[in-house]
Amino acid sequence: MLNYLRKRIVSSALPLVVVIVGVFALARMTGNPASLYLPLNATQQMRDDFTARNGLDQPLLVQMADYFGGVLRLDFGQSLRTGQDAAAMALRAFPATLQLAATTMVLAVLLALVVGCWAALKPNGVADRISSFISMAAASIPDFWLAIVGIWVFAITLGWLPTSGVSGASAWVLPIATLLLRPFGVLVQIVRGSMVSALSEPYIKLARSRGAGEFRVVTRHALRNAAAPALTVAGDLTVGLVNGAVVVETIFGWPGIGKLMIDSILQRDFAVLQAAVLLTAVAIFTLNILIDMGYALLDARVRPVTVKARVRPVAAKA
Amino acid sequence: MTSSSKLPFPAALLKWPALASVAVLGLSGCSVANSDAGASSSNAVRVVLGQEPPTLEACESNLTSTGVVVRSNVTEPLIERNPQTGELEPKLATEWKATGDKEWTLKLREGVKFQDGTPFNAEAAAFTINRAVNSKLGCNVEGYVFGDADLKVKAVDATTLTVTTPEADPILPLRLSFLEVVPTSTSTTEKVREPIGTGPYKIEQWDAGQKITLSTWDGYWGDKPAYAKAEYQWRSESSVRAAMITSGEADVAMGLSPDDNIGDLGVDYPNNETVALRLDANVAPLNDIRVRQAINYAIDKEGIVNSLYQGKHKVAAQLVPQGIVGHNDALKGWPFDLDKAKSLVAEAKAAGVDTSKQISLVVRSAQFPKITELGQVLQEQLSQAGLNVKLKMLETSQHLTYQVRPFAKDDGAVALMTQHGNQAGDAAFTVDQYMLSTGAQSYFGTPEFDAMIKKADAASGDERKKDFEEVFAYQNDKVVQFAHISHQTGIIGKAKSVNYTPNSSSGDELRVSEMTPAS
Repeated sequence: MLNYLRKRIVSSALPLVVVIVGVFALARMTGNPASLYLPLNATQQMRDDFTARNGLDQPLLVQMADYFGGVLRLDFGQSLRTGQDAAAMALRAFPATLQLAATTMVLAVLLALVVGCWAALKPNGVADRISSFISMAAASIPDFWLAIVGIWVFAITLGWLPTSGVSGASAWVLPIATLLLRPFGVLVQIVRGSMVSALSEPYIKLARSRGAGEFRVVTRHALRNAAAPALTVAGDLTVGLVNGAVVVETIFGWPGIGKLMIDSILQRDFAVLQAAVLLTAVAIFTLNILIDMGYALLDARVRPVTVKARVRPVAAKA
Repeated sequence: MTSSSKLPFPAALLKWPALASVAVLGLSGCSVANSDAGASSSNAVRVVLGQEPPTLEACESNLTSTGVVVRSNVTEPLIERNPQTGELEPKLATEWKATGDKEWTLKLREGVKFQDGTPFNAEAAAFTINRAVNSKLGCNVEGYVFGDADLKVKAVDATTLTVTTPEADPILPLRLSFLEVVPTSTSTTEKVREPIGTGPYKIEQWDAGQKITLSTWDGYWGDKPAYAKAEYQWRSESSVRAAMITSGEADVAMGLSPDDNIGDLGVDYPNNETVALRLDANVAPLNDIRVRQAINYAIDKEGIVNSLYQGKHKVAAQLVPQGIVGHNDALKGWPFDLDKAKSLVAEAKAAGVDTSKQISLVVRSAQFPKITELGQVLQEQLSQAGLNVKLKMLETSQHLTYQVRPFAKDDGAVALMTQHGNQAGDAAFTVDQYMLSTGAQSYFGTPEFDAMIKKADAASGDERKKDFEEVFAYQNDKVVQFAHISHQTGIIGKAKSVNYTPNSSSGDELRVSEMTPAS
């Protein structure tokens, strides 16, 4: 397993460098940020001073070499906008997004498991149709619209929740509900599909014939095999949450990395944008490795050969 | 979990998400990372802005997002412009007068302290001017107000300051009103995110990304403000800012639009912003004055103001609204006359101008409410007049390459939608940039026009007013670089519990000391 992990980390390093170089070059192709930071009537002398002060007058390759030199010393540069350390700004914003994404994903997976299993018990039954309708709707409602409607209904009309902000537990509800819908909708479909096929397997029939209760059959036998595809998709959806976070954080004033990224893009705040992208990319690579390992633990067929099959503890008699 | 098997499926499963979500929220203790979940104090006024200030550095306070928090709350200038009357009033300086061709002498207020306890005196005033205008810091206010000119400052004694300009400058006191005074302990090599000033409020806490709290301090030289604290949050969506007023989460919300459903909690105020098209008269077909006149006739300004802005904006005839020194009351907006526009275009065509050449109508997305619709309306109306117009919606940074020299090259003539706000109150801040042939935001001019502007710039008093009025009239008669559309109206949201009357500079300088609780 360690060997496998090492290989994965090495193979992730190259795309990481490509991401950084890409963001670095693309950001600078959008032009000189001087006009955004200087008064509109600034003289050419002031523009030249600004450009030189921020090293933007150097050739792109020199700028990039400087940047990578800094990264190796863990110096990610300064924000043009705030004058603060870019890495500090990204690191400060990251946990808020992580909390939001993790909570959302855990809830989305659990809810999808319940609804998906419920739908799979009787394919084409009433429950299946209801859940299918709910999941399709959830996966296709635009998050921006839902957020605004949510604020209008729950904060203004009913007064149950705050419109936005981060004070108190109630502030979590609308952002999470907004962010949750899409992954939930997609996952319900996946869980239902894999559960339907798992429940028709011979070993399920065998378990039932031995008199196992329905709950035990679904959770112990079928779900174990049906969970792997859902887990993989959940991983991909978590990556997609970064996009959703931009919208949700912007609307709800959530102090996370999505909002920081969008502000940095609009403000051409190169150093902060690079730090935020780098941090997010590392997080996504880490997540992907974790998913692959989880998948390997769940499903013997994709297990790397170095992993020894674990002896399963004997289940306690109920 | 063996007891789960006693529950009918799926009820048993329902226990899991509930437990898990409690666990996840429990882990985080319900508080968001990098946030302070403290409740606001009862004697605080809660303001919601459109964006977080990038910094509260005093010498950047001409930036709207910085100034709205800092100016006259945390720091104070020597001289203050009254937004209602346009008159200059004493603040940290009690009087000032010209004591030579290029020299001004200011008398300073006694008994004023900075929030760190050090006294305010001529030395601090001189230090402030040197730091903002004569240093290598690259302060925004330097570029905005002073350009490349350096000032000579001298502290004659504790309460007397002389300022000498390289050229005679009749509006130096107005320019000084942009400088927020800081103590001599302030860094001269780096910008300072949290300044010390002489204002009624000091910065208590800044939770980055979250909230800024100001609180009163005992040493203030003037009257104690009604609110002990001011709390600032920010939300990018104006509809969310409006919702925070409606739901009682905020007391004052800046920058709302008519679509935000704020109802009777919205207060309209003239915000000094003027919308116009700037026409590139160097390129065909805009290089013919008849085509530029046709554009002015083709725009139905009344219709735009009434249909897009519910009649709240005013049709504009010049680039500055009433209240700015030099505004010409006699000018009327161009009448809407499509036939006249068509015949002018036809005339130009007959004279050999290629009127079928494409004109790019360059518009900045989300610059102000309904801007996309306005762009579409203008494109339609100019097409009606027989011109070939293509609408280009750009984001801020791209749009700026068209707005400011060196101008972006386009594949044709450019009509740029511009929103100009003159914060300073004097027409010089408008015409030098937009109308001089070498102005940073001007496509072209004429030698006669340049001479007129230079003359107005150097004049003072009533003569200055008259000269600038003539400049605006001449622009409309002989130059026609602009097709003016409207003077805008801003909306702030205000809870019933707060008394506050916004004025034309509220967007740049929101004085908390002017707010009082409604009894």
